[in-house]
Amino acid sequence: MKIINSRVLLILLVAVLLILPGKLALAEEPITIGAPLSTAFLYGWDAERGITLAVEEINAAGGVKVAGTKRPFKVEVIDTRDLEPGVPVSEALLAVEKLILEKKADFIMGGPVRSEAGLAAMDLLSKYKKISILTTGVLTPAYHARVAENYDKYKYLFRITGEAKWIAIGEQIPALLKIGEKFGLNRLYIMIQDVAHARAFGNIFAKVMAQKGWTVIGEPEIYPTGSTDFSMGLLKARREKAQVIIICMDMPESSILLKQWYDMKVPALPFGSIIAAAEQPGFWKASEGKGEYALANVVNAGNAPSNASDWTMKFYDAYAKRWGVEPEGYGTSSSYMAVYVLKEAIEKAGTLDSDAVVTALEKTDMMGVYGRIKFDPKSHQVVPSLDPNEGAVGTIFQWQAGKRVVVFPDSIAMGEIKLPPWMK
Amino acid sequence: MDILIEILIYGSIHSITLALMALGFALVYGTSRVPNFAHGALYIICGFIAWSFLKKWGVNYYLSIVLSIMVIGLIGALIYQFILIRVRGMAISEIIASYAIGLAILEGLRWGGFKGMTYTLPTFIQGTIFIAGVPVDLHRIVVLICGAALVGFLWVFTHFTRIGLALRGMAQDERAALMLGIDSDRMAVVAMAFGSMLAGLAAALLLPLGNIVVETGYNVLILAIAVCIVGGLGSWMGAVLAALLIGFAQILTEVYLGTHFKSVIALLAIIVTLILRPSGLFGRQKELEERV
Repeated sequence: MKIINSRVLLILLVAVLLILPGKLALAEEPITIGAPLSTAFLYGWDAERGITLAVEEINAAGGVKVAGTKRPFKVEVIDTRDLEPGVPVSEALLAVEKLILEKKADFIMGGPVRSEAGLAAMDLLSKYKKISILTTGVLTPAYHARVAENYDKYKYLFRITGEAKWIAIGEQIPALLKIGEKFGLNRLYIMIQDVAHARAFGNIFAKVMAQKGWTVIGEPEIYPTGSTDFSMGLLKARREKAQVIIICMDMPESSILLKQWYDMKVPALPFGSIIAAAEQPGFWKASEGKGEYALANVVNAGNAPSNASDWTMKFYDAYAKRWGVEPEGYGTSSSYMAVYVLKEAIEKAGTLDSDAVVTALEKTDMMGVYGRIKFDPKSHQVVPSLDPNEGAVGTIFQWQAGKRVVVFPDSIAMGEIKLPPWMK
Repeated sequence: MDILIEILIYGSIHSITLALMALGFALVYGTSRVPNFAHGALYIICGFIAWSFLKKWGVNYYLSIVLSIMVIGLIGALIYQFILIRVRGMAISEIIASYAIGLAILEGLRWGGFKGMTYTLPTFIQGTIFIAGVPVDLHRIVVLICGAALVGFLWVFTHFTRIGLALRGMAQDERAALMLGIDSDRMAVVAMAFGSMLAGLAAALLLPLGNIVVETGYNVLILAIAVCIVGGLGSWMGAVLAALLIGFAQILTEVYLGTHFKSVIALLAIIVTLILRPSGLFGRQKELEERV
């Protein structure tokens, strides 16, 4: 009996010694990622899930190597509510400050999500010299322009997701021109939500498409957040013989717009520059198929199925397995990648010191889920491209027979754009 | 000419939509004097209950709607019986208590995972018709007809049924009604249940047009209050007329001034009404019979 007990003890001892190094790594003080996100909204919870998935993967692989020790990541999320109508920007600022002071976040990642809140948080983040990587929302070009203008103050701020100017000029306008050329369309109507990034999108489209020889019908129609009726706007589009409708809305009520468009059989292709409702995989069922033919932009590859890089579908499948749903909104793959980019930068810097990690982040050059990830050294904006081998590549998909089919850019397209039967 | 027809058709639909949102609030206040600030929450929770019956438990769609309206009526009655009755007559407390209940319901739904844009109810009827060349989907026609029928039903109910007459009696003079044997607390419970069911009915008719999201609860409350203040608090007929006024004003604003001014109209209407005619455009101050 004593011999058996000794053997059992010996086996246990060996097992403990084998397991201990890994466990010790996770027993080290965690590196805290503070995530200020509007968690009740798609662009909040998709980012939270993306960050969590990456953190789980990294921790399972041993953690982050900092000056000879392996430390795990830990995520602290605070709901900023900044995507909800009527919630003041100060709520998001309080969330960011709470993450820094109370939760002792080493890094900020994710949001705030609304452009107005993101811009307002810039001074707060630079005051605490806290590195922030924006991964969702905040599409306004003013963000990285400010970093470039005042580098010394804002050098701690990075954005790893797309911004309105490139998305519009670099991706969506070429996609529109392609549609125009292919189907002979050239009359544009613009419907946008009354928020900063959408107004920026609307103005860019109106200006550039007019220069490209398209007829832009009137001024962009601006809808207050929470609008539930779009009938008069759609009737105007129909009356004025619009052929493409640009929609830029991140409010849930944008699904009403698409349903009304379908019911009215408006002979104009709905092109969601940003259209939150149509991004989710569950949209098809929820809209009883009325979203068919709607085009939607999910900003970064990996948020809809494609083969942008070797990592794209690996991420896509891992996300679907972990959360029981495919990547949903435009903040998913970028939030996931941000954790890996941060890990690499910390390991390169060998410390959590903000200035050292900033320098390491500026040298990032990694093949990620949505192509090559590197930051502009002056503005800290992720470098975009239409080619995943050159930079971060976006994704525009179209709902076709219940599936999200990537149709632009050509380098990652999985299908062709189609017109609804009532437009033929 | 085309624009005028469009304004007429969609102005009517929009007005009826506003009236549906406001009628429950107007009825409860008109009879029990309780400003039910949980109205928007009851509206949205009815949508989620119907969704649960339909999608989770596989109940027939129309039966799901009937059941959810009954459940919401019961919830309304319980709210009054166990909470609001304790603060009855204390206006500020009633507002705080009912608003807190609404807040708890809405934030509880969010906390319980009812978030996102994929909670939807199917439309009653699919298809589109053209009225003088203007396309209108059939579900909106159903909304229009049901809304108009509901207004007619309410008139008949409050004029020709015992409960309706008792509710009117309460609204006109609660003490006199008590002397005539009308139990005011019981009738207030009935009013709250009935008002909640009206909120539920509005939800069942309107939510299939979009999706069921918590934020809608807040919007519905604001619109209901706007309509009731303009119409004259407590006057359900005033609410119907105010809904027509605000509905058409919003559509005209959208067409001729710009879509982004549309939401200002409802709030502007409250301010103008309070300045020019505090008892509401269609309510006659101190003429209590107008409140039902």
